Amino acid sequence: MAGGMSRLFRGETTINFYGRRNIGFIASGLLLLVTVGSLFTQGLNLGIDFKGGVAFEVPVAGTMSEAKAKEILADNKIRTDNAKIQTLTSGSTERIRIQLGDLPVETRTKIQEGLAKAASATVNDVSVSTVSSTWGRNITVKAINALLVFFLIVSLFIAWRFEWRMALSAIAAMVHDVGISVGVYSVFKLEVTPATVVAFLTILGFSLYDTIVVFDKVHENNERFSGSKVSYGDIVNVSMNQVLMRSLNTSIAALLPVLSLLVIGSGLLGAIALREFALALLVGLATGAYSSIFIATPLVGILKERSDQYRSMKGHLSLGADMAHLMHTGAPVGRRAAARAATDASQGIAPAPVAVETLLSHPPRPRKKSRR
Amino acid sequence: MTRRLVISLVGIVLLAGGTFTANIVAGNFPALGLDLQGGASVTMTPVGEVDEAALSVAVDIIRQRVDSIGVAEPEIIRQGNTVVVNLPGVKDQQQALDTIGRTGAVEMRPVLKVAENPENTTTTTVQGATTTTVKGATTTTLKPASTTLPPPAGGIGSSRTAAVTTTTVPAETVNPITGLPEGQTILPGRKDGLIYLLGPIEATGEVFSNDSSAQVDAGGWVVVAKLRSGAAGADVWNALSTKCFAGGADCPTKAVAIILDGEVISAPTVQTPTFDNGSVQISGSFTETEAKDLARVLQFGAVPVKFDTPTVQTVSASLGEDSLRAAVLSGLIGLLLVLLFLLFYYRLLAIVVVGGLGVSGLLLWSVISWLSKTNGLALTLSGAAGIIVSVGVTVDSYVVFFEKLKDDVQQGRTLRNSAARGFDRAWRTILVADTVSLIGAVVLWQLTVGSVRGFAFFLGLSTLSDMVVSYFFARPAVLLLAKTKLFNRGRVLGVAKAKISEAVA
Repeated sequence: MAGGMSRLFRGETTINFYGRRNIGFIASGLLLLVTVGSLFTQGLNLGIDFKGGVAFEVPVAGTMSEAKAKEILADNKIRTDNAKIQTLTSGSTERIRIQLGDLPVETRTKIQEGLAKAASATVNDVSVSTVSSTWGRNITVKAINALLVFFLIVSLFIAWRFEWRMALSAIAAMVHDVGISVGVYSVFKLEVTPATVVAFLTILGFSLYDTIVVFDKVHENNERFSGSKVSYGDIVNVSMNQVLMRSLNTSIAALLPVLSLLVIGSGLLGAIALREFALALLVGLATGAYSSIFIATPLVGILKERSDQYRSMKGHLSLGADMAHLMHTGAPVGRRAAARAATDASQGIAPAPVAVETLLSHPPRPRKKSRR
Repeated sequence: MTRRLVISLVGIVLLAGGTFTANIVAGNFPALGLDLQGGASVTMTPVGEVDEAALSVAVDIIRQRVDSIGVAEPEIIRQGNTVVVNLPGVKDQQQALDTIGRTGAVEMRPVLKVAENPENTTTTTVQGATTTTVKGATTTTLKPASTTLPPPAGGIGSSRTAAVTTTTVPAETVNPITGLPEGQTILPGRKDGLIYLLGPIEATGEVFSNDSSAQVDAGGWVVVAKLRSGAAGADVWNALSTKCFAGGADCPTKAVAIILDGEVISAPTVQTPTFDNGSVQISGSFTETEAKDLARVLQFGAVPVKFDTPTVQTVSASLGEDSLRAAVLSGLIGLLLVLLFLLFYYRLLAIVVVGGLGVSGLLLWSVISWLSKTNGLALTLSGAAGIIVSVGVTVDSYVVFFEKLKDDVQQGRTLRNSAARGFDRAWRTILVADTVSLIGAVVLWQLTVGSVRGFAFFLGLSTLSDMVVSYFFARPAVLLLAKTKLFNRGRVLGVAKAKISEAVA
């Protein structure tokens, strides 16, 4: 008998995902609860781009330089990785612009004095002004409206291509993924920048894409089993076992570059700007892959089991060998066969071998005589 | 069949290689965003006292204007009372000013006389005013042939300053510098190589609300501008249009000049004395770009704040080159890991992925370089990282395809036998999933601004390239490989025909 890994590799797993759906629901429910709680108690740590802050402008003279500016900030115990420090050039005069989040007045004065000293100028030569967010309210409103329109159109598309239950579940899974990603940001007080928003959108896109691929399989199996009396739970289980390897591979392929950005890019090479972006993506891609299997598809199952077609078979699940049989032949094991298999199993008798040809939906084309 | 596959394969490789080489030869490289390369920083200071609300409306309009120009991600900040616009990749200060518009003040004056600009070295033929018969509220543009030479800053420019300084002086005195009656001025057309003798300012851009748009009407591009109602808008405009429609001494040409920053953008002839339905339609032989430009000018003119001539500075990158290098390097390492993983998992078939990623890499590079040149696209750090990640995601198409093949091989088919059918099934899945991504990209692109729009652009781009590469590269590559002996021998995919006991157990 092949080991677990090897069966996984061959796509022969018979995991009862649907029967254990509550585990996923409870886990996700708890995480979402934490998210909501955290959003209410500590909210999100919005960066300068959202909140605005203070801008200093200092002429380049004396010992003034971008590196010196960072030093001065560090002396005042300000994190420099999210400060925007830029050199402005106009003709031959150079100025350095430093943008920071909101500061108490004392710190502001201290920095102003420090900068003036470094540039060997008077305090008045260092201009201090408040800056607005680059990310205006207008942008947020537009983005949210666009997302709503997007949800609507995508729902209609899925409903047309598959069915409305899948549309509903896909949207729920997307909201779930972004919810959990936002939760991670809130709980760990990571700074939200425009790059983070882009990361969240990437997550949304990936989550939806991944869900659609799984739904496509369910849809395909739904048609395949439409002739025989198979419960929807079985269809869900068979589909998920069939796409399991695909989902794992895709997730690994999508996560490897992100991990590399995180570990090599921001860790070893020190590009700090990448760290939080990569982190958001990592969390999001992982939840995206998870939710397609543990949230979206079971949700479809639950909704579908309430429909007239499947109500009578609600709760009936073929497990183990029965599921494998279903997967390969496309027909459920008869009640008698199931009972026999059960007794066989209890007496330690292996099930009778079935010829591969009968397992195929249709036999392979006979090999042609080789042509020249 | 085989021939068509070979053509498709060779075609896509040549296309990718060709566009890549063409871009390299033409010197097009991807431009970098504000965070990586810096750009120009334009500071606009409002004239006089302004209130909070007006300034924030102004910022919104400026943002729309800047956004509508291309796909770059500009930054617009209010710093104190000034508005700072940071434009990525713009090195030339003049270019930055042209992008934003200098003072943004739009004026409307009656046209007294039109002549060719003597300072233009090229001769231009003037297409007379096109008088199309149009419904109700319509003016028709005089759209002369355009020349590429802008008027020199010298002579005409000085009369521009004169006009600005003298408008406050009481009328009916002769301006000592220009020799023209007070209030009158001579301004050059922006592109048409004409000069205009103009009467005093009768209205400003503020008569229009900020939703001017370029539209297609009866097969041509027209600009539709909505008037603000009441004394501040429609009344002022109607006074001017009535005067010009009558064609008296103070408006003999019946044309109204729309002026931005001392240049006549357009000088439509008035077709009706009053505009009762609140909207003005300007038609003429516009190209799409011209119509959109004019709409933008009118929008911008509706900014409730008047700005001084802005100052331009070049601004350095807020992140260093090393950040980009780190992102690219670690991204490439990541992709290499993906390839190793696939090689381990799908054995020889993974060379299709290597080829496919190569082809899509070349295509993306080409499109991005080309758009950097033509549309001012600029890659930010998160944009670059996002592309790398999206490439990882598009590997999924191969995974879906190969998994179907693996299923078939396991069930006893040969690769030769299952490749075409496997692709058909996988293609269906890829198509549905990619369509959803494309919907997302298009909706976000249409409805958002700033970096969300940038994201939508790259999402759309990588999804399209995924579809193209899957169909024109992965399909023929696998189908052709499946015909070779090498791929029908042993465990190419890492699986062989399943043993019976395993298949059922």
